[in-house]
This record gives sequence, C-alpha cells and structure tokens, in this order.
Amino acid sequence: MLIILLKSVIIGGLLGFSAGVGAARMYHAPKSQGLGAFRTLGEMNACEGDAAAHFSFGLGFFFNAWASVVGAGAFTQDIEHRIIPNWAAAALLIKNKNVEETIHNPKKMGIVSAIIGAVVVAFLNTTAAAIPESLQVVAVSVLVPAATILINTVMPVLFWLAAIDAGKRSGFWATLFGGLAQLVMGNAVPGVVLGILIGKGVDESGWNRITKSILVAIILLFIFSGFFRGFDISLIESFKLEVPNWLDSLHNVFTIE
Amino acid sequence: MENNNIEIKENSFWLADWGFPIIVGLMGAAVFAGTHMYIVHGVGAFNEVSIVAMLKAGLDGGSYGAAAAFGASFLFARILEGSLVGILDIGGSILTGVGIGIPAILLSLNITQPTDNFALALLVGALCGLAIGGIIIFIRKLTINQSSSTFGADIMMGAGNASGRFLGPLIVLSACAASIPVGIGSLIGALIFYAWKKPIAGGAIIGAMIFGAFFPIVASV
Repeated sequence: MLIILLKSVIIGGLLGFSAGVGAARMYHAPKSQGLGAFRTLGEMNACEGDAAAHFSFGLGFFFNAWASVVGAGAFTQDIEHRIIPNWAAAALLIKNKNVEETIHNPKKMGIVSAIIGAVVVAFLNTTAAAIPESLQVVAVSVLVPAATILINTVMPVLFWLAAIDAGKRSGFWATLFGGLAQLVMGNAVPGVVLGILIGKGVDESGWNRITKSILVAIILLFIFSGFFRGFDISLIESFKLEVPNWLDSLHNVFTIE
Repeated sequence: MENNNIEIKENSFWLADWGFPIIVGLMGAAVFAGTHMYIVHGVGAFNEVSIVAMLKAGLDGGSYGAAAAFGASFLFARILEGSLVGILDIGGSILTGVGIGIPAILLSLNITQPTDNFALALLVGALCGLAIGGIIIFIRKLTINQSSSTFGADIMMGAGNASGRFLGPLIVLSACAASIPVGIGSLIGALIFYAWKKPIAGGAIIGAMIFGAFFPIVASV
C-alpha cells in the first residue's frame, strides 16, 4: 500500500505539472506549442473563468474516473483532459479572477496542477472503496451525452462555419479536409483546423515553401492515419471491390504478432 | 505562490519552444509509469477502459498487435497534427501512444524490464516524451516559425470559444433525458447560476448531482 502511495504521488506530481503547463500554453498557441486538446480548451472556455463552474465540471468527471479505477484499474483520459486542468483553474481563480494572470500563466498552472495531480492520483489509486453508485450513474448519464454531442457535433459544425466565414479559401480546404477527417478519423475538427491553417496560410503568404510543405504534411497525415486505421481496406470493401493481395500483405507487415 | 503577477517571458522555459520537449518528457514519464502501476499493481493506467483492455488482452497471453498498431498509429498522426495546429493532443499521443502503444511494442518483443521496474519506467517514458516533443519542435521550425502568418489561429480560438458556450444548455438537455428529477435539478441549478451571472454549466451539473443523490437513476447500461 505504501509503495502504491509513494509511486502515485510521484506520478501524479509529474503528470499534473506537465498537464498544467501544457494547458496554460494552449492559450498561447500557435505562437507557443501547447499540450492538451481542443476539447479541453473548449471546455475550459465554457466555464468562463468561474471557479465554481471549473470545479463542478471537474467533479462530475472525477466521480466517473473514480468508478472506472475502482472497477477496472484504468483512470479514463479525463484525469488529464478535464479534472486536473479545471481544478487547477478553479484553485487559481479563487485568489484572482483575472484569467490572463491565472489560467494563462504556465508557471502558476504548473505548480498548482502538480499538487492537485499528486493528491488526485494518490487518492484514486489508494481508495478501493466504491463511491455512491447513484452519483456515479448521474455523472455518467448527464455529462457523457453532453460532452459527446459537444465533441462530435457542436465543435465540428462551429469550426466548419467559422472556416466558411473566414473566406473562400479557408472554407474550401476546411470543407475538403473536414469531410475527409470525419471519414478517416471519425471527427471532423482536426481536418477543419488543418483546412483553416492551409487556407489562411495561403491567404496571408501565398503558395510558398512553407505552405506547400504543410500541404504535403497534411496529405501524408491523411494517408498514414487512413492506412493504420484500416480505412483503405474498409473503403475498398464498402465499394464491393476485391482487396488487392499486396495491400493485405502490406497491412500484415505492420501488424505485430 | 506569490500574489504579485510576474510576467512570463516569451523565451523562458514556460513558453519557449525549448521547454516543450521537457514538459512532454515529464508527462511521458508519468504516463509510462502509470502503465507500470497497472501491470504490477492492477491500478493506475491513464486511459479509457476500452483502450487499456487491448493491452490487457496481450498481458493475458493474447496478441499485442491491436494495442501496438492502435497506439503507434495514433501517436504518429498526433505528432504531425500537433506540430501543425500548435496543440499536441495528449489523448492520442501520450496517453495512448506512450501509455499503451509503446509498452505493447516492447512487450511483444519480450522486453519486460521497462514496465516491471518503476525507475526504468519513468526513464523510458521520459525519453519517449523528449523524443516526441523534439520532433514536434523540429517540424515547427521547418514550417510555422519561418512565417509571419498566424495561420488562422484567431479563427480557431473564436470557434473554440463559441463551442464552449454550448456546454451548459447541452448538460441541461442530457439531464432532462436522464430522468425527470435529475432534469428538474439541473434546471434549478442552471437558473440559480444564471441569476448569479455565472456560466450555467456548473449549476446544471451540481443540481443534477443533488437531485440524483435523492432520486437515483435506474442504471440501464
């Protein structure tokens, strides 16, 4: 038990620190490379710098993670995506309401998140006692559908519309890559974002070496993620065609037995 | 914590490119060690149950192929995407790539030391994270940083803010779908928070929780 506690404090501290700094850096993207997720950014913005909203949003997912770790030993991804960043934000906002001086500050977020991470991970790993079943069910049945609609429907549509409003070029590329991303990756947001990136990049600086290499990188990204997700096979099969042997053997090369 | 606000310099560890691989390295160390905890103690993997189940399939004597391919491909895609859009998605890159994919590849090659030994797990995870962070900064140097364009960052931020506003109403909607008492609770909570001029999402969740504690939802999962 003591070993688990010690390891958990170390892991939680490291995790919290890096998640906090990364989340704060997201507010400075793309000038500074951030670490987190667009959904984390969207959800943190949804709390509009209100400590109570940040705390309760994290709390809902905390119950969910607790249930999951008690049941299966896995934390869910929400620890890093939702609980640590939002609780750190809540803790900082109690002292200072100005988001520029708190949530957007990587140093403050890193230190507070390290403490929260260490406590949360140690607590979750050492408490095998179950939480009230009823609360866990409420959290899952209320938050999960809402977050799912937000991530799968609202975010793709809003990003897409923003791209269309941003000009003809962004709109075209965002529509193309957004649709492809929905097919290949299951969510259009990354594709739409890449479309805005290339469209605005060309608007502002033309077709130069940089925008061309970004386009090549995007095409490679689609080819590789399609291949590794088996999208190429599904595509051929859904058009009722035979999968060529060379493609099958190529897939088998990458399947580690 | 000092109360006076110190301006963070652009070229300091906290915001500069050179700090990024270090931050990713620390996260990689934590997540890889979390997988070590899961393998040795049975708790503490930083991922969804469904994804951890792929690794477990391998641990239980099956094939590591699914976990390895899934984790590695996710990692690859997120590295490219992360360097282009300016936010590295930790779910795909670190939690799934470093936490599931890389351990699965090592285990399928019968390399068990990194996942069995805590100190070694921290070290291997840190090295993976450093490498990922380094590659991303390298790609950025070749693309974004050589240009004066903002590549539409303001549009992305605007869309991100707009989608955030949807959360409150969505929570009330799904609470009403969950059960009548929970729906009423979240509605009351949302109204109180709105009257207080606070974002309604927090009130909607708290209200749903309070009513859900008294009038449990019958789990139909």
